[in-house]
Amino acid sequence: MKVIMKNLGKKYEGRENFTLRNINLEIDDQDFCVILGPSGCGKTTLLRMIAGLNSITEGDLYFDERRVNTIPPKDRDIAMVFQSYALYPHMTVYDNMAFSLVMRKERKKLIDERVKEAAKLLQIEEYLYAKPADISGGQRQRVALGRAIVRNPSVFLMDEPLSNLDAKLREHMRVELVRLHKSLGTTSIYVTHDQTEAMTMATKIILLDDGKIQQVGKPEEFYNKPENIFVARFIGSPTINIIKGKYKGGKFVSETDTIALTPSKEDAEYLKDFEGKEISIGIRPERFESGGEFGDTFEATIDVIEMLGKEKTLFATLKDGSDLVISTPGHYDYKEGETHTFGFDIKAIHYFDSETGERINR
Amino acid sequence: MALFSKKNKKEKGLYLSDKPPLTVAGIIGLVMSYTILFAWVLAIVWPLFQMVVSAFNGRQQQYIMGNENFEFSLRHFEFLYNETYYLTWVRNTLFIAISTALLTLVMVSFTGYAYSRYRFKGRKASLMAIMLIQTIPTFAGITAFFTMHSIVSSVIPAFSRQMMLILIYAGPAIASNTFILKGYIDSVSTELDDAAKIDGCSNFDIYRLIIMPIARPMLTIIALWSFIGPFMDYLLAKVLLTSPSTYTLAVGLFTLISDFRTMNQPAFAAGGLLTAIPIVIMFVVLQKQLVSGLTSGSVKG
Repeated sequence: MKVIMKNLGKKYEGRENFTLRNINLEIDDQDFCVILGPSGCGKTTLLRMIAGLNSITEGDLYFDERRVNTIPPKDRDIAMVFQSYALYPHMTVYDNMAFSLVMRKERKKLIDERVKEAAKLLQIEEYLYAKPADISGGQRQRVALGRAIVRNPSVFLMDEPLSNLDAKLREHMRVELVRLHKSLGTTSIYVTHDQTEAMTMATKIILLDDGKIQQVGKPEEFYNKPENIFVARFIGSPTINIIKGKYKGGKFVSETDTIALTPSKEDAEYLKDFEGKEISIGIRPERFESGGEFGDTFEATIDVIEMLGKEKTLFATLKDGSDLVISTPGHYDYKEGETHTFGFDIKAIHYFDSETGERINR
Repeated sequence: MALFSKKNKKEKGLYLSDKPPLTVAGIIGLVMSYTILFAWVLAIVWPLFQMVVSAFNGRQQQYIMGNENFEFSLRHFEFLYNETYYLTWVRNTLFIAISTALLTLVMVSFTGYAYSRYRFKGRKASLMAIMLIQTIPTFAGITAFFTMHSIVSSVIPAFSRQMMLILIYAGPAIASNTFILKGYIDSVSTELDDAAKIDGCSNFDIYRLIIMPIARPMLTIIALWSFIGPFMDYLLAKVLLTSPSTYTLAVGLFTLISDFRTMNQPAFAAGGLLTAIPIVIMFVVLQKQLVSGLTSGSVKG
């Protein structure tokens, strides 16, 4: 099922400003759509509006052609997995999963079939008759998923479902969720603040900040073509390096003149209009050239090295005292305190308008 | 075997407690604590013991005497049964107690849930008002209650003094327990409500199927308290109920020690002993429900 939002806005009672406004989105059938954003950006509000748990202040929400603004949650053909799992503590796992079907007054036999089927899919058959208090966090997570699957929904909503699991289990569940999504063939909407989850699971990412959509697109677009400085900073770990400066005589010069950079021919086209204006460049830590034999180079002193095995993250200081993060393959030999020359991968530079933060080289 | 191994460890001189070892001051403090506690226990248990003994002592006459003579007899119970309205009093008290408990439970369920889950105009103000009005003792309104009763009973003759009493008992109980239940329900994650809403529950279903079972330990305690209340209260019942056939246990039994014409102290003791029975039964029946900790495991723990 398609989920379409037209000019959606939400204002909470007693608040002065809109929490969300002018949200225009189209989520296609069978998309795995991740709503990403820092805490307090309104992503959970958006999800709860889709679920019908929060009212819609302005705009329209459509499921396919049906306008669902005022339809109660139970009639929206959705299922939701909550951050805290929200399992009913006084019911067994079986009853938890069967609850929605019981409320719909389905036949007992059908309920039993559905619950057993979901339990098999999620491998929770053994503790169908245990209470939520008696099973582990990972198992509760599965039960919460099971409870959603049993309903056979058209839209699957998830509100940070992995945030309560430990790192290893989270990694495992990420793959499992994608598999589940594919086998169910539903539209999934997933809310998270974790960029790794977004990058690994999504077919479509929506990045929200400050009640506005910052960028919509595929994960690789987010990494390689961030629309503005906020998106560039939010996606990628270690964080992208943003250097402020000016565009002068076909060259980017940083504020203290420590870095000068000649853009590639394509980028120079975009930058024509910015002659003499303030711009910023963004460069991912892994896009520095070590050795620095070609083009523009700069010198940096290494303060701290983080050894991650397959790569090394160098925290370096430029001559003017500003910081830079550079990541290099793990086997390269760098020592703390050394000064090295680095160059840029000229094709991987992101140019932003310093004033608006918008990307220049689209 | 287990005992043996424990002893073994002690012999090896291993100190297994998590607390720091006792100092001399600590030991003195401990002895003092226990002395106070034992004195306290004695102060509670001794009168109870005397009451039980006197109730069964056939040698006791009108006044309870502290003497050594004891002869087992159910004479005083027979007196209660034959010479007083004891059974009627029991029936009255149970009627009032059960009605109070049920009324309180139903009303508190609604108010506690509403105050916890809904945002409405005057929510804070009305909560404060309830709290402040609580500070005035119920007895202060006794004349008003009298007038209210005579007005209502002139319209509806079936509205008895006992029913008025039920309302008077239930009123403050509802008010104060609203706070307690609200606090309890506040601690239940609202995500459970959301999940239930998506699963197809109406607001009433959410309370009935999700919140009520979770809040059961608290509801049980509320029911128990409001059930015990009428057993303990003397003043309101004494003023409001005028004929001996409408008395509650407390009022009825008091006639056995307050008036020298009807004085019978051992029968009072026997009656008091019997009064404990329904309350004890309630405790035993509800014991399982009182065990709390049901919420654990609903959300990440």
